[in-house]
Parts: sequence; structure tokens; C-alpha cells
Amino acid sequence: MSLALYRTMQVIRQTEEELARCHQRGLIHGACHTYVGQEAIATGVCAHLTKADSVFSTHRGHGHALAKGMPPRELMAELFGRSTGCSQGRGGSMHIFSPEIGMMGTSGIVAPCILQACGGGYTSMLLKTGAVGVAFFGDGAVNNGAFHEGLNMASIWKLPVLFVCENNQYATEVPSSYASGNPSVASRGAAYGIPGIEVDGNDVLEIHRLAGEAIARARAGDGPTLLECKTYRTRAHAEGMGDFTYRTREEVEQWKHRCPIVRLRTTITAIPLAGMDAAAVTTHLDAIDKEVATLVQEGRAFAEASPVPEPSTATQHVYAPPKPITTAAKSASTRTITFSQATLEALSEEMAVNPGIFVMGEGIGKRGGNFVTTKGLYDLYGPERLCDTPICERGFVGLACGAAMTGTRPVIDFMFVDFVLDGFAEIVNQIAKMQYMSSGRLKMPVLLRGCIGIGHSAATHHSGSYYGMFGQVPGLRVVVPSSAEDAKGLLKHALRCDDPVLFLEHREILQTKGPVPDGDYEIEFGKARIVREGRHVTVVALARMVHQTLSVCEELERDGISVELVDPRTVSPLDTATILQSVHKTGRLLIVDEPPGQYGFSAEIAARVVDEGFNDLDAPIRRVTGAFCPTPYSPSLETVVVPQPADIAQAIRDLMRE
Amino acid sequence: MEEGTFVGWLKLPGADVTVGEPLFELEGEKATQEIESLDAGELYIPPDAPKPGSTIPVGALLGYLLAPGEPLPSGDAPKWVAPTQDIVESAPEIHLAVESAAPTGTTPVASPRAKHVANELGVDWTELSGTGRDGRIREADVRAAMPTVVPAISGDRVLLTPRRKAIAERLRTSVHRTIPVTLTTGANAAGIVGLRDQFKATKAALVPAFTDIVACLVAKVLARHPQLAVRWDPQQSTLIAVPEEQYHIGIAVDTPDGLLVPIVRNVARTALLQIAKDSKSLIERARHGKLSIAEMQAGVLTISNLGSYGIDGFTPIINYPEIAVLGLGAVRREAVVSDDDRIVPGLRMTLSLTFDHAAIDGAPAAAFLQDIAAAIENAAAILLGA
Ligand SMILES: Cc1ncc(C[n+]2csc(CCOP(=O)(O)OP(=O)(O)O)c2C)c(N)n1
Repeated sequence: MSLALYRTMQVIRQTEEELARCHQRGLIHGACHTYVGQEAIATGVCAHLTKADSVFSTHRGHGHALAKGMPPRELMAELFGRSTGCSQGRGGSMHIFSPEIGMMGTSGIVAPCILQACGGGYTSMLLKTGAVGVAFFGDGAVNNGAFHEGLNMASIWKLPVLFVCENNQYATEVPSSYASGNPSVASRGAAYGIPGIEVDGNDVLEIHRLAGEAIARARAGDGPTLLECKTYRTRAHAEGMGDFTYRTREEVEQWKHRCPIVRLRTTITAIPLAGMDAAAVTTHLDAIDKEVATLVQEGRAFAEASPVPEPSTATQHVYAPPKPITTAAKSASTRTITFSQATLEALSEEMAVNPGIFVMGEGIGKRGGNFVTTKGLYDLYGPERLCDTPICERGFVGLACGAAMTGTRPVIDFMFVDFVLDGFAEIVNQIAKMQYMSSGRLKMPVLLRGCIGIGHSAATHHSGSYYGMFGQVPGLRVVVPSSAEDAKGLLKHALRCDDPVLFLEHREILQTKGPVPDGDYEIEFGKARIVREGRHVTVVALARMVHQTLSVCEELERDGISVELVDPRTVSPLDTATILQSVHKTGRLLIVDEPPGQYGFSAEIAARVVDEGFNDLDAPIRRVTGAFCPTPYSPSLETVVVPQPADIAQAIRDLMRE
Repeated sequence: MEEGTFVGWLKLPGADVTVGEPLFELEGEKATQEIESLDAGELYIPPDAPKPGSTIPVGALLGYLLAPGEPLPSGDAPKWVAPTQDIVESAPEIHLAVESAAPTGTTPVASPRAKHVANELGVDWTELSGTGRDGRIREADVRAAMPTVVPAISGDRVLLTPRRKAIAERLRTSVHRTIPVTLTTGANAAGIVGLRDQFKATKAALVPAFTDIVACLVAKVLARHPQLAVRWDPQQSTLIAVPEEQYHIGIAVDTPDGLLVPIVRNVARTALLQIAKDSKSLIERARHGKLSIAEMQAGVLTISNLGSYGIDGFTPIINYPEIAVLGLGAVRREAVVSDDDRIVPGLRMTLSLTFDHAAIDGAPAAAFLQDIAAAIENAAAILLGA
């Protein structure tokens, strides 16, 4: 055992030292944060893990990957930017992925790994796999909200998670003693009702013992543990960075003498192993050192000889390969139900056939959701699949990411999109980028759903739409349906596709009724619907604005103006082709959109049509959009910041005169 | 007129110009012209004014006629400079009247769509006035300006029957998709005429038509020219070889509703009398509008016989996706120079083969036609299996 620990630490140390050398020679293009001095922690913890257990790590993650079983060559090739690297050259030092061995990635953002490990734990709990989720993070992460939200969630749901804080005493150059009101990280466990244990982070045997106990507790269903490992990094924060503005050479030298590898070597040569005297043990350890040196040299040679990725593949893996639609054609027989009923049908039908689906949100359990999005499902599927959350949007969005990474299909019901902005970074930096960062080896089937839109004097914290903003993010699908039929078909598709989907439901149309086909059907993303055919002007609108526009079409028709109304249904992907075809026919384009026009959905469509359909335009493109203004409360103010039917009709008439 | 060449000033800067005096010279599309001053004043030529020889649009600013002490419209004081020798030395001798070069208002603006449509229809949009905002020319303005195509002879329009439309469509497809080349040659028709005479002499119930016999001969020749036995795959633009048992030959039939091409099946493997029976029935049903679509599909080659109209050579159109069509001309009694240089009576006809040059080259097509001519000459022997 000790020999195996020794070897793993050597692999980490020698690989890191070689990487530092390579960095100096310009072979590494980007950042390189080494793990030198901290090897005992990854080694002691990962010795207990199998491939089924998932590790979520930070910017200082080389050691975690190596300890989890990644061959040095894959790590080195990645840092060299080669196609044989563990992330196929898409990640570098801070995005190291090998899901095949349970290395769920390192992250350039401090702290989300804590939430993702909770997701790994949630998957294990839901699917009863017995696996644990492990988060490695620095002392810099413990004053971040993710730490608080993650530990609390793990505690209340008794998740099989191990939180490993590697307290190397500095976050870049900021001492943890300065940054923490309570400098003892371990003692914070008590604040969340979980065991918090402090250990000498340079003592691999002790770490190994304590981690073993914690992991056994987790596997037994007894919940999470916080392990604080006191350690020190003996190289600069990142290779090439100055090191002595915030700490002294003496301090660093002193810690170098506490090297975890030398320490283990001393220990095991002092207590002769079975059948070996001290000299034999030394010989054995020397052989390990040599064997590892060869391995590392071979790794470097492999990395240097490897090809760089083909430039034409740069945009591969932003999304999962599309799944063909498997359902039979839509049934011709329909029922008339509300938008809300339609989405509830879609969710309950999918939950019935896919045990990996679980819903998280506030009040979505017994209560059935603020907008009756989960009504009746709790009784069918219980609290693990209909999971009420604390009010920690960032936390449960981050958890969803980790859950999806480990094989379940979370549905985050955030009630109002305004709330999920608290989890914005988890959506943009983690969920949206995960498939790409992992070169397509991780899937991200996360559904994020909730209400958008202005109405009912909800005022400015309950009326956002933000789909333009989300539409800018590669890796996300953004769906904004306007009818019950579309809502059901698109939600079904969302619950079957492997990409993260933001499903936005305008609160003012939740109760509108419409025909919904009987039986199972699915609507593909990126296919617009021609709501109404016309000859003179194309209007593009989403959600409630489809209804607003429809309400004036008859009146305009009587005046000889024939309106073609196109509902793209999905903001991303956007069906430009259908819009262009319509403009080809009519020559005029009006975009009606509820959120402000600036940098938005309407601007994007206008730009695309000018770009690709310039010769079809018989008039300037016009937009009717919401005011560039937070949403006011008083009805007299609220009305004027939203496009009204009269504004739309007027804009169409004006356009006809252009 | 949109623009002209500014030839030069006829007055020096600073000169006092009176109404009616020639002020500058302009070369238009038709001639050079002295432009008379409509106003009086002191000539001021701004430093950035167009230089002699430059092309200037209608409405361009050349200079100002200022009252004494009057500032420029911009409010700036004029910057008088010494006269240069930009003055035209000698005025050209011939002065013809030209269009007024006076500014004609702002340049018209057209929507991108209007410009695009104008370009397509060959309409000069710059001549139009627009109905859009601020006079913008729109698609409708361009379309309204299109000279309506007036038929040369006034009269009622002939409504096209669906059949006529379908024929038009089919023929257009052929012309668009193929590169038709027609070869003609003469053939000795005596053999076929004689053969038919023999059928008649036997008081046979059915005498094979001239076309039937040629169809049989063509099928036999085709077997020796497999490059001709192909059809286009309309989807993929590749050629598909047609096996011998599928040598179905089309016969162009003139019907009251227009041209139809029923297909006689498996000509290479069917006896002449059966072919004659099949074609007779097909032709009758074609004339009565009773053909099914299937009976007009999957031919390997078509034969069109205009002989009964006294036509000799012509350029038949390929029945796409086939790649060749054979035209039969009238059989004529002609004086023929015999092998031993005597003039003898003969029965001659013209063969016209249109082939798709995209599918095969001229030489193999010519060889095919040559063999058909030979087969016609030796019809009996070929039909008997020679
Ligand atoms: C959210 C976020 N803020 C800031 C940074 C920039 N940054 C990168 S590493 C680092 C220090 C992290 O310190 P710690 O968590 O203690 O890890 P260590 O580098 O000591 O291993 C900072 C601030 C970041 N990556 N993410």
C-alpha cells in the first residue's frame, strides 16, 4: 500500500517538474499551475476511489488527474495543446477531462467543483450506484458562496460526497488567514451539520486513513465529510509568476523540508516492510523513482511527437450529435388544453419512462410548483425525484451540472428566470461549456425551465426574459414557445436531447388554451412555425408577442395588408432559413420582441436578414421592442414598456409606406 | 443625362459675370456645350471644386457667383486665389444643343429588392420615381414600369390544356438538361418497302408499319452499341445502362391533344408481328387519350416519323431521360448512281439522330446511325438474325 502511495506521489512530482521545465522552454502555451508539495492529498484520497467515483477539481488539478489514474502522457499532451491530450487540445491545464476514469474535470473557475461533486453524489443517491463524488478545492474556495451552498445541500440530502479542502495557505497571493473570518476550515463543517476534520496535508498515510473513513461513511449513506488538509505549494501559483511579493524564501524553504514524498520514504525505510530490510526497501524505492522517470520521459516524448488538433475541428463538440426523432408522426386528433397542462403532460410522460429524470426547485415537491409545473408528480415519484431545494439557485444549478455529468437528467425549475440569474455563471461557464471542454465525452442533458415576461405588475425582479443574453452562449439551447402544442413538443424534445436547454415560458400565456395532439410527439429545435401566412410583411415574434401580433392581423387584412407571422420557437438554434424565405416573399420585415432591443434577439435577426437577404428587402427592417428600462410596477407604466397590439399595427402600417 | 465632363471655365476666378454670359464648358453624352450663366455675380471657385477634365454628376457644385462681400453659404469668407491657367484656351467650334445640365433634384434611392428586381427585368430604375418614403423606389414601382409584353397579333389568348402544359414542361426539361446534337444521313429504304409489300401480298391481317420495322432494327443495332443504351438518372445525373431485355422503344404519336410517346416493350426480344400488334394498340389508345402513365415511361430511345408529312431531315427533341431520338423522313423515289455508275431508280429516306452530347460523343453516335442505315438497307437479313 505504502509503495503504491509512494509511486503515485512520485508520478505527480516528476510529471509536474517536467511540465515546469517544458513551460520554461515554451512548450506549454497557457497557464500551468503545479501541484508540487501537495501530492499527498490527491494520492491519499484517490487511493480509495474506483472509476465509478467521480472527482471534480480546480485549476490546480494535475495531481488529481494523475492520482485518479490518468497516464502522464495524456496530461502532458493536453498542456502541449495536442490532439492526443486528455481534452483533445480544447482545455489545457485548467480543463482536464477523463470521464472514462471518473476524472470529471478541472475548472478555471474557483469553487463550482464543490457543487458539481454534490451533483455526482445526487446521481449516486438517485440511481443507488454506491459511488461517491469528491471535490478538491483550495482555501480560496471556502469563502465563495458555492462552498456554503454546496455543503448545505450535501448535508440536508446526506449526499455521498467528500469535500477536500487543500489549504495551502494562499489564494494566489492572498493569505487565507487574511481572507477568512474563521481561519479553520474544518470547524465550518459544524455550521452545516457535517463532520469537519483537519489533517496534516503532507502526511499521506494519515490522509489515506481519514479519507478512507469519510468515503466509507459516504458509501454507507451517512452523508458528506469536510476534510481540511493543511499543506503548502512550494512552487509559484503558476509557472512563470513571481513568488516573493507575498511570502518569503525562508518560508518556502522551510516547507520544502516537509516534503510529503521524503516523509513517506523516511517512514517506510524506518519500519521495514514485509520481508524487506531497510536497504532492500531503499533499492525498491529507487527502482520506483527510475521507473517513474522513464514513464514521464516517455510521456513528454509522446506529447511532443503528437499532432496538433486539426483547425477545422475547432467548433466540434459545442453540442451533442443530434438524436433522430424517434416518435411516430404527430397524431391528427387533438384535445384543447392549456399551455401549463401541455408542459405538465410532457414532463410526467418523460418521468414515467426515464428514471434518470429528477426535478429540483423551490416548492416543486408536494406543492406542485408555483406555476403548477409539477402538480401531482410528487405523489408518483417521491422526494428524491421531486426535490424541494433551499433558496440557493447557484447551488442547485451547479449541482445539476454535476448530476448531468454523472449520468442523470436534472430538470431545474427556477420559477422566474430572474432567479436563475444567481446561477448564471454555472449555466454559462459550466453547463454550456461542459460538452466542449470534455471534447464531447460528457453529455449535458440539463433542462432549465421557468417563467419569463412582463405582466400582472410583477415589477422588475419577476419579469425578465434574458433569452437574448442566453442566446449568445455557445452550447446552450434556448426555447421560447408560444402555444400549448409547441410547448409540449419542444419540452419533450428537450427532455430527450443531450444538450442543456433553457426552456422559457411566458407567464402571461400559461393559461392560454390550444389544440394539442394526442399521444407522443416531439418538435425539433431550430424549426420555425409559420403561424399565419401572408404576402406583404413578415413579422417575427416569440411567446406572448405572437399573440399580440395575431390580434391585429385581421384588422390589417381588412385594410389590404397581409401579414405573415413567423414564430422561430427557439432562439438558439435560430431558424434563419424560414425567416429569409418569408422575407423573400414579402420584402418587408418587422421584429416584435418584448425585451429591450439593444443587442437582443431582434437585433440578431435584423443582422442576419440584412446579411443574407439584402436583395429581398423592399423597406428597412423595423423593430418594435420593449423599452430599454427595468420593468416598472404601476400598470400605467408597465403597459408602455411592452409592445402593445396598437404599436404593432402602427409599425406594420408604417412599414407598408416605406 | 447623369454626368458630364467638366471641360473648363470660360471666366477667370474673380471675374464679374453677367446674366447670359457663357460661364463654363461641359461635355455631355452627345456634345460639348457652353453653359450660360443664369445669375450675375463675382465668380468664386472653391479650392476643392472639380478640376477641368473631371467627370462630374448632375448637381455637382462647381463654383459660386457672389455679390460683393457676400460670404459663402457655409458662412466662411471665400478664399480668393490667383487665377490659374485653367481657362479654356480656345473654344471648340461646333456647339450643338444638348440636354440641360441643370441639377434635376436629388438622385433617386431604391430599395435593395427594387434594384435586384430591376436588374432581373432589365428596367433602368434610375429613371423611375418611387412611391416609398421620401420617394424611395420599391419593387412595385419597378414592376409597374415593366413594359407589358403586348402580343404581336392582338386576339384572344389561347388557354393551354393541361396536356399542352405538360408537353411544354417535358420538352423544356429536355432542352435544359441535354446538349442535343443532330446527325443526318441517307438510307436505302427499298428493303423495308419491299418487306411491307410482301406482307401485303400475303394478305396478312396486320402489315407492320414502317416505324415498327425500324424499331425492331434499332433494337438489334442498339445491342451492338451499348453506349447508346443508357438513360440519365434524373436525381443523380449519372447514366444507367439499360439491359437488352429492357429495350423499350418510344414511338412519337401525334394526337388531337398533342404529342404523346407510348413505349413498345422489350423490342429486342419480341417478334416483329407482335411489335406491330403492340404498337397499333398503343397508338390507338394514345389517340383516344387512354394511355396510362406507365405506358409512357422507361423507354431507351424514341422514334419520330414525320415521313407522312413529306419531311426529310429534322431535329427531333430527346425524350429525357433517354439520350437519343431517331427521326424518320419521307421515303422518296430518287435517281441513284449505282455502283457501276448508272443512274437507276431508288427508294431513299433521310435519318435524323439527335443525341445528348453530354452523355456520349459524336463518333459513337455517328457509328450508331451508320449501322442503323445499314440495317435498314438489309432489313430482311437483320430481322432474320444476321
Ligand atoms: C471565480 C474565480 N475568481 C477568481 C479567479 C482567479 N484565480 C485563479 S486561482 C485563484 C486563487 C485560488 O486560490 P485557492 O482556491 O486557494 O487555490 P490554490 O491556487 O491555492 O491552489 C484565483 C483568485 C478564478 N479562477 N475564479
